[in-house]
Amino acid sequence: MEEISTPGWFRPEWTRPAIIGGIVLVALVLVGISDVALVAVVVGGLQTGSIYALVALGLALVYKSTRVLNFAQGELGTVPAWVVFLILTGGALPDGGVDSAGLGEMLLATLAAVVVGAVLAVLINLLVIQRLSDVRPVTTLVATVGVTLAFSAVELIVFEAKARTFPRFVEGAPPGIDLGIGCLAIGGEGGCAAAGSQLAIGGARITWHMIIIVAVLIGMAVLLAAFFRTPPGVALLATSQEPYAAELYGISVTKMSTIAWAFAGAFAALGGVLGAGVFQRISPGLITTTFLVPAIVAAVLGGITSMVGAVVGGLLLGIAVSLANGIVASYGLSSVLPGPPQLATMAVLLAVLLFRPRGLFGKEA
Amino acid sequence: MAVQTDADAPTVDGHTPEERDPRVPWRPSQAGYVARGIVWAIIIAFVIAIPHLVPDTQINIVSRAALYGIVALSMNVLLGYAGQVSLGHQAFFGIGAFGSGYIITEVGMGWIAGIIGATIIGGLFSLLLGAIALRVRGFYFAIVTIAFGLFTQEVIFNIRRLTGGGAGMPAERPEFFSGDIVYAYVCIAALVVVWLFDWRLTATKAGRAIEALRDDERVAASWGINVKGFMLLAFAISGAMAGLAGGLFASIEQVVSPVTFNFTLGLLFMLMTVVGGLRSRPGVVTGGIVFAALPFLLEAAHGLSWWPGFIGPLWEPLIGAVLLLLTLIFFPGGIAQQNEDLYRWLSFQPFHSDKKDSVGGVVDTSGQRP
Repeated sequence: MEEISTPGWFRPEWTRPAIIGGIVLVALVLVGISDVALVAVVVGGLQTGSIYALVALGLALVYKSTRVLNFAQGELGTVPAWVVFLILTGGALPDGGVDSAGLGEMLLATLAAVVVGAVLAVLINLLVIQRLSDVRPVTTLVATVGVTLAFSAVELIVFEAKARTFPRFVEGAPPGIDLGIGCLAIGGEGGCAAAGSQLAIGGARITWHMIIIVAVLIGMAVLLAAFFRTPPGVALLATSQEPYAAELYGISVTKMSTIAWAFAGAFAALGGVLGAGVFQRISPGLITTTFLVPAIVAAVLGGITSMVGAVVGGLLLGIAVSLANGIVASYGLSSVLPGPPQLATMAVLLAVLLFRPRGLFGKEA
Repeated sequence: MAVQTDADAPTVDGHTPEERDPRVPWRPSQAGYVARGIVWAIIIAFVIAIPHLVPDTQINIVSRAALYGIVALSMNVLLGYAGQVSLGHQAFFGIGAFGSGYIITEVGMGWIAGIIGATIIGGLFSLLLGAIALRVRGFYFAIVTIAFGLFTQEVIFNIRRLTGGGAGMPAERPEFFSGDIVYAYVCIAALVVVWLFDWRLTATKAGRAIEALRDDERVAASWGINVKGFMLLAFAISGAMAGLAGGLFASIEQVVSPVTFNFTLGLLFMLMTVVGGLRSRPGVVTGGIVFAALPFLLEAAHGLSWWPGFIGPLWEPLIGAVLLLLTLIFFPGGIAQQNEDLYRWLSFQPFHSDKKDSVGGVVDTSGQRP
């Protein structure tokens, strides 16, 4: 019934997505190889892609279990990021922001933020989604848009329309060895030599933050896969397939939707804290305006009900966006063609809807 | 408002609605005609007077409110009649604005050509997007419109050649409309025209076909309705209305700047339509006018002594969001549901309805639920 619950690593239904993914990668190589530092593009894409994937994971989980497209997923990232900010400043609102924080302090604050994200998500589900006077899917989308507007409006009133600096878990970059494998990339910024004493792959400098983001994504994916093997996880999957039959077996549908929303809120919170770290700044509505739409597109690309799809879709879209940025920059098109990320996102979305509306791993349109 | 409770009861000549011959249409009594005529005269007089009533510096709010009314009607075609959510309608609004600016300033054709061009460009763009996006419905459609909104905001509106970049694109008014008060009348007239168009649309076969699609596409198809064609038609009409509003908007400040047409504006458009009350022309237009005026009202209220000082213009989105959630949870018919009896009375019908139906929620509540 679900990819994750069947044994063995090979899945026959993965062959087509794998072929399509391969074609996409080859196309990326063909387009990118001429003038773009491909490895740098991929490495950069994996960083943003991992955050898309984290946000998309929550979107897909909520959609799968409750058939709600949660537009508030972005704000479930922004609000916890503000919680971290407030914990680090001790409740004060300095104009400049927080430049750096200790790892322990940051971890504790993030833990609190994850709890806040999960609780907020559950509250949205129980207080808004479950109480709507009309249960059509489109109405639930409009309701989550309302929640998004409410959160970002409160942030705007409290924090005002300005950007403040936001710390990372670990600043800087790991020292060390140039792995060298990427020096095949043509036209990188000075290639391996420029990386100096910093860990680099093909001229792309690796920061601690990148490593942490990818590690968190892997950790969350593993956690979710493990959860789907436990009894409540199986119950959740059963509910998502046939709520009525699941209820007959004594599974509480409301409880299952609460679990799904809590996971989604926690993932969004992690995405928010790490995403604000990527920019090293935070402003009201940050995650909604930067990561939400790509994450939705990533979920659609992966097939909106598939967790594996959300991760793969997020990473692929991250690479596509990074590639668009790279191409526009290296051909000097930035004055003619503004907004390459939005262009790439729109192009990917239209391509998916035209050629494969159910996404790479989806089972339904 | 006091007039609504006058002697014009649901009964005519002592008959209760049940006793009336249903084949004879209901007519108000003579006093009822007079009362409705007086209220209509007051409303029309108020609309005509309003550009003169507001302070000179705030006159553009009237124009803006009228245009938001048009946008609300445009959203209503898509969201109310066809049942598809657009979260990127600011794109068509902006495309209309830049289209008219480009025609007036760069091409050098007249203002009229600019407005007509804006309407056509808005319609064409929505036709183009609809041809791709309407392969899918519901969620997916909403996602495409969001992505399209961001795409226009970050890509199209930043192409310097088309939009003049950060400095904006000038869109001057012709001599005749150069006064702000005259221009407010132009916008109000446009709202009236769009309203009448929308009213006739719902009376045609096309309008009924679109509404049938919302209720159930498969049933509609079985009645021989061209599902894709009428869905596209709804989208094109909606885009053209938004384009027209955008074209007129361009000439309010006489310069169009890309930052105006952001993501939040699209959400506001959706919000004001739902809060106004879908499928009710007076409802959605009221919603548009309220949300166009709200920031200025909040600013004005800020100066009052009894007003809590911390509530300023920044509260507009919060008030809107809370109203939206309350609407969705408790009053799916929005403002229109609250004023249903009044609207019915004003359209020369009895004040109290003998029917139980009311204006519905985001998507028709009477249909079956998935």
